[in-house]
Amino acid sequence: MNIYLGIDVGSISTNLAVIDEEKKVLAWEYLLTGGRPIEAVQRGLKEIEKKLPSQVEIRGGGSTGSARHLTGILIGADTVKSEIIAHAVAASHLIPEVKTIFEIGGQDSKIIIVRDGVVVDFAMNTICAAGTGSFLDHQAQRLGVPIEEFGNLALQSKTPTRVAGRCTVFAESDMIHKQQTGHATENIVAGLCQALVRNYLNNVGKGKELLPPVVFQGGVAANKGMKAAFEEELGYEVIVPEYYHVMGAIGVAILAQETIVETKKTKFKGFEVSEVDYKTRSFECTGCPNLCEVIEVLMSGEVISRWGDRCGKWEVLEK
Amino acid sequence: MAIKVGIPRALLYYRLYPFWKTFFNSLGIEVVVSDKTTKKLLKEGLKYVPDEACLSIKVAFGHVKDLIGKVDYLFLPRLVSLERGTYICPKFIGFPDMIRSAFDNLPPVIDTSFNLRRRPSNLFLPMCRIGRIFKKSFLSIHQAYKKALEEESKYLSSLRKGNLLPEVLSSWEENPPPLLNTHLKSKSGGELRIALVGHPYNLYDFFVNLNIIKKLENLGARVITPEMVSPLAIKKETDKIPQEVYWSLGREIVGASFYLIESGSIDGLVHLGSFGCGPDSFLRELIADKIRKYPEIAYLSLILDEHSGEAGLVTRLEAFIDLIERRKAKVRS
Repeated sequence: MNIYLGIDVGSISTNLAVIDEEKKVLAWEYLLTGGRPIEAVQRGLKEIEKKLPSQVEIRGGGSTGSARHLTGILIGADTVKSEIIAHAVAASHLIPEVKTIFEIGGQDSKIIIVRDGVVVDFAMNTICAAGTGSFLDHQAQRLGVPIEEFGNLALQSKTPTRVAGRCTVFAESDMIHKQQTGHATENIVAGLCQALVRNYLNNVGKGKELLPPVVFQGGVAANKGMKAAFEEELGYEVIVPEYYHVMGAIGVAILAQETIVETKKTKFKGFEVSEVDYKTRSFECTGCPNLCEVIEVLMSGEVISRWGDRCGKWEVLEK
Repeated sequence: MAIKVGIPRALLYYRLYPFWKTFFNSLGIEVVVSDKTTKKLLKEGLKYVPDEACLSIKVAFGHVKDLIGKVDYLFLPRLVSLERGTYICPKFIGFPDMIRSAFDNLPPVIDTSFNLRRRPSNLFLPMCRIGRIFKKSFLSIHQAYKKALEEESKYLSSLRKGNLLPEVLSSWEENPPPLLNTHLKSKSGGELRIALVGHPYNLYDFFVNLNIIKKLENLGARVITPEMVSPLAIKKETDKIPQEVYWSLGREIVGASFYLIESGSIDGLVHLGSFGCGPDSFLRELIADKIRKYPEIAYLSLILDEHSGEAGLVTRLEAFIDLIERRKAKVRS
């Protein structure tokens, strides 16, 4: 059986997905990046390999997410694409009539506008991280609510508390104030979801034409309270797909399959890369006052790639 | 030894340098330009910047700081208006005063006012005043002025032929920053044409914009900028806007954008704004409003500040180019 692998390495989670020629998801893996993208990718590869039938041939691989370039070098990716395109491709494949995609991840959130199966516009959160997974995680911890129960708790609320959601710092102060004045936890939790949704729609979704069907994906889509808050604000159903948390990986697996149609032969190095000794190190270039931090990737002690310099003089490797 | 006049490599440097340089050199005055923008240069200037300055003013402070101690005069002309009916940004008008109040070890500042709003033919007058500071004769000032105008028109016409500004400007510069532009052909065949619009000090300062022109070219785009559009075409477009756009550069950005959008010659348009810029916040919306009527052209708005992260910029640019390429592929199939 021919299969394609997609890896999405984000700030919080590393996701892998394997699809077959019909783009059916055969296996997926979701693990925490924990600030060590290389280890996460290697661990993920080991885990997902166990879930695959024995007679498979990897025809292609792709990487996406904020560590896409690093991952691409690591695994020998056939395609390295931004999260926006990967998410859009996966959503359009699973829900072909999709017009709007909400994607809320660990540290960023984006909106993607799709018409007739192609992306026509997108936006990402700029300087503000309010409304992303990290913030929810942090507040859940503060309220003593396990993040898994956060959504269900929000759904129990009949009168959500109004929380100021413009800024995470102020949202937190406002939430503490509401707690002190005796608001019930479920109401605060529900109010927080509503505040985040307002924030998202006003910042990331500003000026965009939000037409249904809307697909809501990324780690935060697990939160039923957020889904309900979106639906209340928009007035129509918001679809959370089955593989909402690994959509980026599925998308880039599909993109890898598309690439292989043209290039025929994969550059994927095989599952063995999970055993190879990869390291990264950095140094400060003192060639000019910019003092760029240059990152080097080493495979078994040998430098295989460099980036981080503004002028590009380190990018070229001397053989 | 020749007198040295310092010109900061910031703000309207990118437009007016050939003119200023020719004028001063013809009078036997040496011109010293501040170093290219670096992390250190920006940081040094930030210590002196008043609150509420935009990114471009912050950068300019760094360049002024860089010149202190290296020159006999600082050239910070008060640019009020450079053409009929429009103004330069008020922050530029107040720039010499901001500098005076921030630094106390300044060399003499030449802050001659340029206000051509009513009579564009009055350009010689302020040039005369500058020349007289150095006790030059009217005849030699006039000759230097004529020569400066000639050089400027050479500069502008080369830009309008579609050459990128840093390449053209480098022939007037003593130590031009290394050129990072190489016109690459698109990998997937069929070159993408991307308009990159914004204030020249954002478009051509490679540090401030994280080298966006090279990034776009590496992604297979041919970059088109407002300087490549003729003033006549710009005027035709801005005349159609009911409300006058009275900032010189803003008018140019809007006019050039509208012209390029309507000409059908571009696949996408990127507006590059700087944080804290008032006009940019209007321009962005004017352009977005126009481009909505042309669904075949993709639009991306980016805002730069001194903390701009490379990752965010790269992700947006990659997605933007992918979006255009995938759409083109879909149309072809």
